Amino acid sequence: MRIPMNKLMIAAAALAGATAVSWEAWGHHAFSAEFDADAPVSLEGKVSKIEWINPHAWIHVDVTQDDGSTQTWMVEGGTPNTLLRAGIHKRSLPIGSEIKVRGYQAKDKSCQPACKANGRDLTFADGRQVFMGSSGTGAPRDGSDPRES
Amino acid sequence: MNKLIYDFALWVDGHASSTSLHESFYMYNWVESTHVLALMISLGMLFLIDLRMLGFALPGVPASTIARRLSVPMIFGFTVMFATGLLLFYAIPVRTSQSLWFRIKLVLLVAAALNAFLFHRRMLSAPTGWDHQIKAPRNLRVGAALSLLFWALIVVCGRFIAYDWFDCQRDPSPLVGLLAGCLDGQTVF
Repeated sequence: MRIPMNKLMIAAAALAGATAVSWEAWGHHAFSAEFDADAPVSLEGKVSKIEWINPHAWIHVDVTQDDGSTQTWMVEGGTPNTLLRAGIHKRSLPIGSEIKVRGYQAKDKSCQPACKANGRDLTFADGRQVFMGSSGTGAPRDGSDPRES
Repeated sequence: MNKLIYDFALWVDGHASSTSLHESFYMYNWVESTHVLALMISLGMLFLIDLRMLGFALPGVPASTIARRLSVPMIFGFTVMFATGLLLFYAIPVRTSQSLWFRIKLVLLVAAALNAFLFHRRMLSAPTGWDHQIKAPRNLRVGAALSLLFWALIVVCGRFIAYDWFDCQRDPSPLVGLLAGCLDGQTVF
């Protein structure tokens, strides 16, 4: 059996197109694979730890809950590089500093060993607000990403 | 065995250069991007060779010519891909060594290497005269098809390492935990 070259080319182009489309929807580190767009969270607390790592940094925040107990949240951000460009670096987030983070909770809500969320924007104690996520991940277009129209 | 791998990963993780690559502003991104670009070169060439053997690509060019010419950039791509792959592991040794996807990927890499070795041996010992035919002899076609399958799965597994679905931190089921190498009471993830 010999498949004509032009048919093969069409098939290849169709496959490439389909892949490109699904990839677009899937994004870089598909938001929907790990996080719940229907579970927005707003967290206020003290920075307890920063994992300044690729491909995604994690900011640990100790949040005091209504009953007075403390719950640790791990908030996923962009890469160290994107965070630096956005205006967040190690020295601007010392351990113990008060921050406010808006984002979306992980689909896995077991909170073991800590609650996890995808961070969208971060507000420093002085009121300065920066985008802390990654663009084009399929996260809801909630206006926090300045590069999204 | 899993304990041994974990201890090895911890040892790698203890190196300052591993941490600095993991926390780098540019280097990690360069390494990861280069890994994917090298993948495009090496697998682009490999797939063309395999498709030629199966009779799907460049039927007018002798199969041995395709194999000989394209294997040069292919080997170059593989070299860069393995080097950057090692660096990616070096940056994140503990989590990667306990990634179910990474472990499946390694098994498939061994399978692909074995398949490539057999393919090469079969090609050398194949009776002459098939070079200008559209399809290679059957045993070479089987090798080419397996090569396509293994590498496609390797790429998919590599992509899935990014996701935390089966991470040890999430207490996967006992079977997944065993396969991923999760240890009871481990403190570093």
